[in-house]
Amino acid sequence: MSAELATAAGHDASHVDHGDHGHLSAENNFLGLPNIKLAMWAFLGSECMFFGSLIGTYFFYHGKSLAGKLPTEVFSITITSISTFLLLMSSMTMALAVDATRLKRLSSARAYILATAALGATFVGFQVYEFSEFVHEGLTLSTSLFGSTFFVMTGFHGAHVTVGVIWLTMLSIMISNGKLNKERSPITVESAGLYWHFVDIVWIVIFTFVYLLEFIK
Amino acid sequence: MSYRLLTLSALRNRLARQPRGAQQPNLAQHPAGKAALSLLKVVASAGLPLLLLWLAGCSNEPAPRDTHSPVSDNGEISSFFYSLLLYLDAAILAIVVAVWAYALVKFKKQAGDDTLPEQSHGNMKLEVIWTAIPTLIVVAITVPMLVGVFQMSKRHDPNQPVVEVDVTGKQWWWEFDYKSGSAAGLHTANELHLPVGTAVTLHMTSADVIHAWWVPRLGGKRDANPGRTYPMSFTAKTPGIYDGQCAELCGSSHALMGTKLIVHPLAGELEVDYKGQKVKLETYETWVREQQAPAKPPVAELEKGLKLFKERTCPSCHLIQGLEGTDIAARSATSGPNLTHVGSRMGIAANTLLNNPENLAKWISKPSAVKPGSKMPDGLVTPEDAKAIAAFLSSLK
Amino acid sequence: MASVADFAQAQAPVYHQERPAKSGLVDWLTTVDHKKIGILYGSAGLFWLLIGGLEALLFRLQLAKPDQDLFIGTQYNGLVTMHATTMVFLAVMPMIAGFSNYFVPLMIGARDVAFPRLNAFSWYTFLFGSLVINASVVFAHFPAGGWTGYAPLSTRAYGNDGMDFWWAGLVLLAISSMVAGVNFVVTILNMRAPGMTLMRVPVLAWMMLVIQFLLAFSFPPVAVGLIFLAFDRTFGSVFYEAAMGGDPHLWQHLFWLFGHPEVYVLILPSMGIVSEVLPVFARRPLFGQHAVIFSGVFIGFVGFGVWGHHMFTAGMGPIADAVFAATTAVIAIPTGVKIFNWLGTLWGGKLTFPVPMLFAISFIPMFTIGGLSGVMHANAPLDLQQHDSYFVVAHFHYVLVGGALQGLFSGIYFYFPKMTGKMMSEGLGKAHFWLFLIGMNLTFWPMHDLGNRGMPRRIYTYPADAGWNFDNLLGTAGVFFMAAGTLLMVYNIFNSMKNGKDSGRDPWDANTLEWMTDSPPPAHNFDFTPVVFSERPLFDHKHSEDLAIPVPHEAEQIHMPSYSWKPLVVASGALLVIIGLLLFHVAPMLWLISVAGALTVVVGIYQWVTEPV
Repeated sequence: MSAELATAAGHDASHVDHGDHGHLSAENNFLGLPNIKLAMWAFLGSECMFFGSLIGTYFFYHGKSLAGKLPTEVFSITITSISTFLLLMSSMTMALAVDATRLKRLSSARAYILATAALGATFVGFQVYEFSEFVHEGLTLSTSLFGSTFFVMTGFHGAHVTVGVIWLTMLSIMISNGKLNKERSPITVESAGLYWHFVDIVWIVIFTFVYLLEFIK
Repeated sequence: MSYRLLTLSALRNRLARQPRGAQQPNLAQHPAGKAALSLLKVVASAGLPLLLLWLAGCSNEPAPRDTHSPVSDNGEISSFFYSLLLYLDAAILAIVVAVWAYALVKFKKQAGDDTLPEQSHGNMKLEVIWTAIPTLIVVAITVPMLVGVFQMSKRHDPNQPVVEVDVTGKQWWWEFDYKSGSAAGLHTANELHLPVGTAVTLHMTSADVIHAWWVPRLGGKRDANPGRTYPMSFTAKTPGIYDGQCAELCGSSHALMGTKLIVHPLAGELEVDYKGQKVKLETYETWVREQQAPAKPPVAELEKGLKLFKERTCPSCHLIQGLEGTDIAARSATSGPNLTHVGSRMGIAANTLLNNPENLAKWISKPSAVKPGSKMPDGLVTPEDAKAIAAFLSSLK
Repeated sequence: MASVADFAQAQAPVYHQERPAKSGLVDWLTTVDHKKIGILYGSAGLFWLLIGGLEALLFRLQLAKPDQDLFIGTQYNGLVTMHATTMVFLAVMPMIAGFSNYFVPLMIGARDVAFPRLNAFSWYTFLFGSLVINASVVFAHFPAGGWTGYAPLSTRAYGNDGMDFWWAGLVLLAISSMVAGVNFVVTILNMRAPGMTLMRVPVLAWMMLVIQFLLAFSFPPVAVGLIFLAFDRTFGSVFYEAAMGGDPHLWQHLFWLFGHPEVYVLILPSMGIVSEVLPVFARRPLFGQHAVIFSGVFIGFVGFGVWGHHMFTAGMGPIADAVFAATTAVIAIPTGVKIFNWLGTLWGGKLTFPVPMLFAISFIPMFTIGGLSGVMHANAPLDLQQHDSYFVVAHFHYVLVGGALQGLFSGIYFYFPKMTGKMMSEGLGKAHFWLFLIGMNLTFWPMHDLGNRGMPRRIYTYPADAGWNFDNLLGTAGVFFMAAGTLLMVYNIFNSMKNGKDSGRDPWDANTLEWMTDSPPPAHNFDFTPVVFSERPLFDHKHSEDLAIPVPHEAEQIHMPSYSWKPLVVASGALLVIIGLLLFHVAPMLWLISVAGALTVVVGIYQWVTEPV
């Protein structure tokens, strides 16, 4: 009787899933998504509000600076296009890494992960160069509203890329020393991938609306 | 009525077509509003005891800053909505409390009765009813509210005489700059003088942090934001003297950032009651003429005060127009109140103390003892010097 | 008929655990058990409730009579700021987190939360955040910019040094809440017992689900606002600098985009507790359970679109005022639906009135008063008078004290037996209830009148002739009643832990899963995983043969998570990062503290993910 009712409710009482943290509950993926993935999506939703507020503030203050350089006077579309391209490429290598873990080819997964981290680190390097150029040209945090909003917004994006690079480096170390096995690797690497793609998408939004739109008049 | 009425901008345009003025009835005087109010009063009588408690408050002290004895068109609108919602709330509260109290008494478990009551999980019909009724009430109060929002923010008819004043909040006092009419160019502090029955627009801004100028009997408040200017338009309807103060936390002496609104008659002197005292109000134009006059040189026995005033660097912040060596203060974010006619004000230190020589001396000899954090430094003058300066300043009527 | 005694027949499960649990202090430092973390949160919440109350008592003394000088200027502003910051972030929120931690997994039939170590991390970041904010009084001064921290009063040019501790502590609290939000969203959505469909999830767990979404999505905007403030104060950026074109409205938008959902974070759990307590003591189901759940969800959604009603006097313009006023008015509808359904639950029941029920029934009219004065504030033309006046103070105290706090008190008396296995004293509880109810109304009712008489909030003194003397005196008197009641409760808690009567599994003859297990529950919560057939699984187990929860004969094999030091390590790293930033303006070299903190975080996380659990 009870099993019948439970099945009628859409859940087989005897089924116990032992995925990530499956030991904690008889039914750890009521929604059919592993906990870690659901958590990642919820976290990224929260991150949307975070970057939404940063980018929103940039536009709230756009054109309201009373002093200092204008965006068009400091932006270099060529250089930023190159770094944007590199970051986009890193999304591709990230996708390849996730694919490799599904095929249980951990060493090639590690190679793709390291490539992704390297591309991300290069992007951060470009950003450091860009920031120092801007400061050289007289745009700092304290120069104007543009300076404050621009540096804090892109700086926090850069910090997110840096966190991603550290995360990916950790994953490659874990593959090397066997802490990440073939069973656990797809979900673990995929979660990192979700984060990485999200950070990329945020950059595409920033590059399009903050950089490119500046030059369309 | 066309569906265009439903859009907010259409609503605003429709309302803006009729510029506001003293002769036009506002929402509070509209017959429909009055009818709704009387109907609600009848319904609310169920909750009369609670209502009386609410209305009467708990004491019989006088309430010189009563928010519901309005003296302007804006205040009337606020007050109208207060009455409307007070009766509505009282009626709802009366019903809820009645049902609640009845249920608590009636459905109390009897001793020895261990049977279960009927296990009802709900009633769809009831759910629909008690969702629909609040929805209707919300719509019924929201529509006039939207009218009120636009009515209160409506700008004055430019063809009518308008008094425009720039209001600047400063830690912790108010600066008033008259911009139009006979008073244009007048520069005073803390006590805002306005003519009765005339359209007024205040342009609110701040020199430091956010303040809010609030004279409860006049009507609503408006924030004074640094770096931004926002208008507040109204017409004062009753001559009198009304107290107010800053309503937005603005630092250590936020509690002591008072202000006064003095609404003058247009013609003829008028005796008004201010906190139980009879005070004579001159006409607005007379007041303007007096304030525009330069300060008179002091009589001989007060000259020492003027000399000390200059010696103790007071003029670097405070302006006295018409006396030699006292009009050097540049208007700036940090300058203090204009003292040209300081003797004519009712209060000092932003309406914190009564204006008399003793209080003035107390204030200038140790400002921080009156107002914590005051920008006027301590120790500039000795208590002896302060008396002389106070005597001189008090003479600046 | 089946009964709860059936569950005592079940065999304890067989543990698979990497490392056996520690004992004593080390156990409390390293625990990942949601029940212990819940107790830690709850105890911290109670502690800060007493501190926040003491702060209120002190400034009410200053306001008892006109022209006093006990606490003046920034001292007073500091007390007011800390009272509100403490009550909102350090008292009510952790008490909610305590209930959420302890009871959500039990209510949904889970063995723990989705990420037990992340849960411990949330607790530590909360603890460190609360300590950082209060450390201001030791190392500097209490922050004095108001709990709303309006820029530019909170910037370095106008705000005192305490505001540095304020932003630093709040950033830690924001991290804690966002992480906990994600953790509990996953827990409630994914870890339910077999058969527990969303519509069978208890209302309290539902309200917790709503607020965890609100926490996860509403904290980021204020985190951004705090980051701007921190950068302005520390690194010379100009976000809130009017002279550079900065707009004072920016902070207000970011703050209230968080601040208004936050209000619902504070009240929805208490609505959930009331929705659990009323049916138990009325002996019938919650009337219109689905309507109550949906109205809670609706309040959560609309709560993101009403923040502008805190800014009617700020000068947003009539269009924005009108939109925010209208959306705010809409909130009245689901709130009304909830109140009517609670009345519907009482109607036709067989009511008994132990202490949890007393708080739950008094919640209804007290919250209704707060809700109705809220309808007044939604009316923008009227709010221009009431904004920043004592009328608003009266309003939110009826909602947060009469509503949120009374709901939490009800929860404490209701759930204490489950957490300790002991009953609390009814007599002391009733004394607490009456003292508190009288004190609350004595303090907050006259504040409506004060607002009508034109008294602005946050003023430390007032003239004797403004007509505010009597109401203020009453307000101060009431605080002593509330304080006495609350102290009685604290005594009752400690005394009952030692001397209380044994409660057994199900002292209230209740409805939901948490009452089927032992009091206090074992580390693994349930000896066997319950199967759920209805909204009231335990009630139906006791009253219906068909819906009895089957008790298996064999012991279950379960894997229990092991204790871990890593959450403490990583949270300490985060604390160091914040301390370095906080001290940067004192001496730039101190940023090395932040570097050390960041390294601790990275190493800690690596050990975290690689340690066997």
